[in-house]
Amino acid sequence: MLRFVLRRSGSALILMVVVSFVAFMLIFAAGDPAVKLAGEAGSAADAARIRAFYGFDQPIYLQFLHWIGAALHGNLGHSLYFDQPVSAILFDRLGTTLLLGLVSFIFALAISLPLGIAAARWQNTWIDRTALIVAVIGQAMPTFWFALLLVVMFSVIWPILPTSGSETWRHFIMPSVVLGYFAAPAIMRLTRSGMILALETDYVRTARALGIAPRKVLLKYALRNAVIPVVSVSAAQFGYMLAGSVVVESVFAINGAGRLAWESILRSDLPTVQALVLCFSLIYVILTFVADVLNAWLDPRMRLADARA
Amino acid sequence: MLLDVQDLTIDIPTASGVLHAVQGISFSVDEGETLCIVGESGCGKSLTALAVMDLLPRRAIRAATSLAFSGRDLRGLSREAMNRLRGDRIAMIFQEPMTSLNPVFTIGDQMIDVLRQHRKVSRREARDRAVYLLDKVGISSPEARLAQYPHQLSGGLRQRVMIAMALMCDPKLILADEPTTALDVTIQAELLRLLMALQQEFGMGLVLITHDLGIVSRMADKVAVMYAGQIVESGTAETIFNDPLHPYTQGLMACLPAPERQRMQHLKAIPGAVPALVGAIEGCRFRGRCAHAQPVCERDVALREPAGAHPYRCVLPAETSRDNARAVLGAGA
Repeated sequence: MLRFVLRRSGSALILMVVVSFVAFMLIFAAGDPAVKLAGEAGSAADAARIRAFYGFDQPIYLQFLHWIGAALHGNLGHSLYFDQPVSAILFDRLGTTLLLGLVSFIFALAISLPLGIAAARWQNTWIDRTALIVAVIGQAMPTFWFALLLVVMFSVIWPILPTSGSETWRHFIMPSVVLGYFAAPAIMRLTRSGMILALETDYVRTARALGIAPRKVLLKYALRNAVIPVVSVSAAQFGYMLAGSVVVESVFAINGAGRLAWESILRSDLPTVQALVLCFSLIYVILTFVADVLNAWLDPRMRLADARA
Repeated sequence: MLLDVQDLTIDIPTASGVLHAVQGISFSVDEGETLCIVGESGCGKSLTALAVMDLLPRRAIRAATSLAFSGRDLRGLSREAMNRLRGDRIAMIFQEPMTSLNPVFTIGDQMIDVLRQHRKVSRREARDRAVYLLDKVGISSPEARLAQYPHQLSGGLRQRVMIAMALMCDPKLILADEPTTALDVTIQAELLRLLMALQQEFGMGLVLITHDLGIVSRMADKVAVMYAGQIVESGTAETIFNDPLHPYTQGLMACLPAPERQRMQHLKAIPGAVPALVGAIEGCRFRGRCAHAQPVCERDVALREPAGAHPYRCVLPAETSRDNARAVLGAGA
């Protein structure tokens, strides 16, 4: 198991380097940054000065090494808009977004796993059909619209929740429901199909033939097998939720990293965008890594196949 | 009587009509006795075992005039009561050792679960019982095996584990559905010997389902030959092998590669295929493949037991059947 973790962390590390390079290259994707910074009234001489000041005249690999070296020391550059180090604004915002993501994720699992299991256990009954409807609505409804719907319901018609902000836990309820419901359908449908397959296997038949209690057959013998693909998809869904947080944070005026990303793009605040892309990518790489390790822990075949390879 | 089944019927509704998978079969097993149910695939023998276990597919309909285990009627049993019986008093071993064990739990975990499901014992005690039984089924260093996962074991070992698992609660009856079919021939013989030894030691009843007459000849006390959902002949192993009366049984025996028969003689096969059992079926099920079919075979044939013979389902008189047997199987039969 330890060997597996080490191998996977090695490949995660390589992935991180690649991702950070792509994040770095973003600054050039939008055209010559020096010209952009000099502004419309800036002369060629201004641009040249800026180029020299920010080191844009150096070879790209040197710039990258310089940038990544600084990033490793926690220096993500200077925001062009806030006139502050990016790291000073970023980590606070990132914390808010991760908290929102985590609560939403827990909410997503809390509805999708039980519903998926129940839909498989009572396949083709009203329970299954209800779960399907819940999933289709979640999949089809745009998050911003669902968010507004909730605001109308619980802040206007029946004012029990605040409309915007991120001061108390009550501010997080509606955003988490919106984001969680966005992530839940994929997890639910996969849980359902995995459980249906697992319940038809020979080993579940064996467990029944040996009189293992039906509840245990369902929640231990079948679920442990069905949940393996769900883990990978859940990690991906968590990533999508971070992307979705851009919309949700805007609607609910939450000061998170998603909203910061959106605003920074509008302001052409490239160092901030760069840093955000890097952070989101790293989170994604870490999520994939955690999912891999979790899967290896759940499935002994994966662990040992990897050790043998 | 340990297990008494009378007039068992299994119907499975399908899109093209009702499949009459099993049509009124009767058999019984005593403690320490081995009953072999023989037949080719699709004759309903596996479904019969599943019907006793109450593990039929949900849409299958089971009916019987008697379905009793140790004098207890299984037909009226609640789901919970049946679950308490399964794995405890009646256990089952399946054909597919490669897929019948749960891949994500250790052997030990799965064995311990069985005992602790049915008995109030500690994990420690359950573990000891698992070690004892793994040793009993001939697995070396059983302690270490407990921590292993199914995919780390060969097919033969897995089937031994399955047998040990079935024995966890010291059952009175074992249903074994083609337990060795998926295994190498050498391992087959070993496992069958093991099964027989365990059955003798623990005094269990054994229902062995197989398509292999060679296995039957080694294992059976009693034999029921099934064809297309019916029992076509039944009796003690001795009478069936020495005095096969049904043309199907005779055909099966002719297919057996026998060393005493000529070496270079071609292996025989029964021509034709098993009839479809969907919708209304009438007459002898075997008549389409039978060399002795007559117009009278168009009508249903009852399982009859004339004087001086065992039960068989054919219109031919016993003497005529015996003449046929001699013709098909040679003078030795």
